[in-house]
Amino acid sequence: MDITPIENEFKKKISEKIEIFPEGKERFKIFTPFMFADGDHLVSILKKSPKGWVITDEAHTYMHLSYELDMKDLEKGTRQKIISSTLSMFELEESDGEILVTVENNMFGDALYNFIQGILKITDINYLSRERVKSTFMDDFKAYITEKIDENRRVFDYFDKTHDPEGKYAVDCRINGMKKPLYVFAVANDDKCRDATISCLQYEKWELPLRSMAIFEDQEKISRKVLARFSDVCEKQFSSLYLNKDRIEKYLLEQIQEM
Amino acid sequence: MADIILNDVEISNLIQEQKEFPRNYEILFQTKDKKGHREQEIILPRSDGSQFKVILRQNQINQLAFSLILGYMPPKTTALIRLRRYNGKSHYHTNKIEKETFYDFHIHQATERYQAAGFDEDGYAVTSKEFADIQSALDCLVKDCSIVLPANRQLKMKWS
Repeated sequence: MDITPIENEFKKKISEKIEIFPEGKERFKIFTPFMFADGDHLVSILKKSPKGWVITDEAHTYMHLSYELDMKDLEKGTRQKIISSTLSMFELEESDGEILVTVENNMFGDALYNFIQGILKITDINYLSRERVKSTFMDDFKAYITEKIDENRRVFDYFDKTHDPEGKYAVDCRINGMKKPLYVFAVANDDKCRDATISCLQYEKWELPLRSMAIFEDQEKISRKVLARFSDVCEKQFSSLYLNKDRIEKYLLEQIQEM
Repeated sequence: MADIILNDVEISNLIQEQKEFPRNYEILFQTKDKKGHREQEIILPRSDGSQFKVILRQNQINQLAFSLILGYMPPKTTALIRLRRYNGKSHYHTNKIEKETFYDFHIHQATERYQAAGFDEDGYAVTSKEFADIQSALDCLVKDCSIVLPANRQLKMKWS
């Protein structure tokens, strides 16, 4: 098979950089300049199948996405919807993780164009807003408080049902049994710090009798202005859960012994 | 300049640190069918709360498409930093800083300079003549990354 006319069509339709190399019987690897963030290029193989010529990724795209994502995340929610609409929009098929397009009426250029566009859109899923680095801070915070404070003296994710029936101004943990309860915020980022500031101001407005305290994942990561506003309304702060466990325990013991 | 999570010395020290696989590692290394590939992984905890993770992936269509990873997870996070990645001859790779492209068996290496430039930590790769299939790549992973297996055992990808 003379592949030159197909290569020329690819160059004309998509990019001058595209090249085709034979790799076995009725199988060609297509070099394209399109790549993942780590420099690995998309896999595009042109090969003869029982239904004619196809361009396939031979399940490489999903395998590559698995470096950053749990495959289960691709089978539900927004990611699943994006994949499904992309496959449909670019007339691609997916079977057991392999994404392919059938070349109709010898229109090789159109098929590769659709294939590349579809694969690139699917790889963009990697950049959806989900936190790519998931911290275990909240889990660690809850485990620490659970260990240090008796069950009957703590309520996680507490909100005041009288003033705040919708729970808009919740606190991560309310420690009870003292003259004034202790409201403990676990703060991992600027957004949480802002929310905690608003909650504290709201508690002041409602004149709730309480003491407030914050434990940061890493206080140095909070922007100065956000932290300054929070410091005006929060009584006690610990800059890091992991580096201050002893001090936090001492402070909590002092507070819960205060009747 | 982007954040550098690990500098070159730290990367090298982590790779050279001995990683002892438990005697029952084959039981822990369960094969999972994913979308078009098979995957096995094992976690090796370190004393400071961090972890090493060894992940093996084999494409189910192309035997030459595989990926063997030594990863590192710093304490208190689930972020996986890929220290080394052994890839088969199944795709082109371009080193973005050096602007060089190749199609060969290759090893991705975490580097400080790629992190500093804002690229993936293991965006740099070198071609290798040391392996030509997944088994020889597994042997390289064990040797290069200081993996210690129980006596008379060879790291293998399981198929069931």
